[in-house]
Amino acid sequence: MLIISILRIFSFAWQSFWRNFWLSMVTITIIVLTFVSINFVIVLNVVSDAAMQIVKNKIDVSVYFRPDVTEPQVLEVQNYLASMAQVKDIAYISQTDALEKFRQLHRQDTTIIESIEEIGSNPIGATLQIKAKNIDDYPVVMDILSNSKYNDLILDKNFDDHKVYIEKIKGIADKIRQVGLIASGVLSLIALLIVFNTIRVAIYTHRQEIAIMKLVGATNWFIQSPFLLEAVFYGIIACAISVVIAFPVLNLVQPYLNSFFLTNEFSIATYFTQNFWKIFGFELIIIILLNILSSYIAIRRYLRV
Amino acid sequence: MIILKDVSKIYPPDVTALENINLHIKPREFVSIVGRSGTGKTTLVKLLTAEERPSNGRIIVGGWDITKINGSEIPLLRRQIGVVFQDFKLLSKKTIFENIAFALEVCGNDRTKICDIVPQVLKIVGLTGKEGRYPLQLSGGEQQRVAVARALVHRPKILVADEPTGNLDSYNTQEIIELLLKINEFGTTVVLVTHNKDVINSIGKRVITLDNGTVASDQKIGKYLL
Repeated sequence: MLIISILRIFSFAWQSFWRNFWLSMVTITIIVLTFVSINFVIVLNVVSDAAMQIVKNKIDVSVYFRPDVTEPQVLEVQNYLASMAQVKDIAYISQTDALEKFRQLHRQDTTIIESIEEIGSNPIGATLQIKAKNIDDYPVVMDILSNSKYNDLILDKNFDDHKVYIEKIKGIADKIRQVGLIASGVLSLIALLIVFNTIRVAIYTHRQEIAIMKLVGATNWFIQSPFLLEAVFYGIIACAISVVIAFPVLNLVQPYLNSFFLTNEFSIATYFTQNFWKIFGFELIIIILLNILSSYIAIRRYLRV
Repeated sequence: MIILKDVSKIYPPDVTALENINLHIKPREFVSIVGRSGTGKTTLVKLLTAEERPSNGRIIVGGWDITKINGSEIPLLRRQIGVVFQDFKLLSKKTIFENIAFALEVCGNDRTKICDIVPQVLKIVGLTGKEGRYPLQLSGGEQQRVAVARALVHRPKILVADEPTGNLDSYNTQEIIELLLKINEFGTTVVLVTHNKDVINSIGKRVITLDNGTVASDQKIGKYLL
């Protein structure tokens, strides 16, 4: 008997969905827009995180030694730096390699190349490229190095405050995220009101059946459940549509992200595939709960059983 | 079967629909409740089907005190009381079979039971062969018979008919009254609410007359007094 009732509730909910077809479509469209907006915020979050990570990975500090500093002295400094907890990685560029790099960099400029040839000896010192574990560690490492006995060996350091750039990226991303969240919130509210109204209209459309159901002794849950289920249908269909929309759009955006990051190691579509249930499952559960809440209020208000 | 003890119904702020009603309707009885419009007849029906709660007094239906019946028990009560209204309350897009089956479907009955019961009630109301028609393809009397058939699907012990002949001509009115009498003969308690003088005078059964929300008379074999 219970199974029969549940099947009939499904059937009544489905009939109601089709009976107010255009209203159902409008409701689903608004929920899809809400999903799109929330997914946009998620994309923004992921992209800004990836951007910050990529920028962080590209940051290093170069320490240029005087040309007369010998390789063992440079290697000693390297060992000294490597012993610091803040240092993640150090790359040694020998005098020869540094000169070769310099030549490559200025290969179009014959004056510079000729000047180098005229000097006869190598005027460029060795270089150490240092990567810190954290962006905040760079000033600390530089301070320690400046106050060490090796400071005299160093010709120059190219340390800029990269943290400022990171903060700028983070600031912009946060602003866009805030706007996205507000837009998602507003759309969610609109979706709830639309669902509320749709269920209200569905109740009105079925007023005759409802009156007869009450008359012949249908239980309250049997009368109410199709409307709650109809709201669940809206959530499921809207979620399915948003999945269908999401992946082509993400693949469309991918080339732009590749050119923005100058790398193709980051794939937004892959991120969504790997976190499919976390993203869409969570969205589905939330929208179903909100739809049930909204339609429950409509039922309480307009369906006297 | 139906007992009303000092039942009053007052609608806010101070409209008294029924006042100190005391009634005892026995099982298998056929009782007509008559009175002018606005005397509380429909309020009485609403109290019996728990659509309204009494302001004072107690109502007992089939040994069940429904005075303070809770929401989840109301459907059970309504399966024990078949109700027929003046406006038939049929679904125009459903066939006669579907209209009657609907009452069973929404109460969780399976297809086998539905296919078993619907032809039986159609036979009782004399509509066998018309199950595939739509309400608008039937006369008023036939539509009311469909409503009666639907009220009978749960095999109720009580059938309440609220102005069932209000929209019918005299020929169809007579048909419906005969049907109600037949149902009563089968053992169902029938409560007929009407203000049709000719109907009351032709039945020759118990008549309770309401006037201004009170019981003006209660005759065993009554006539229309007002």
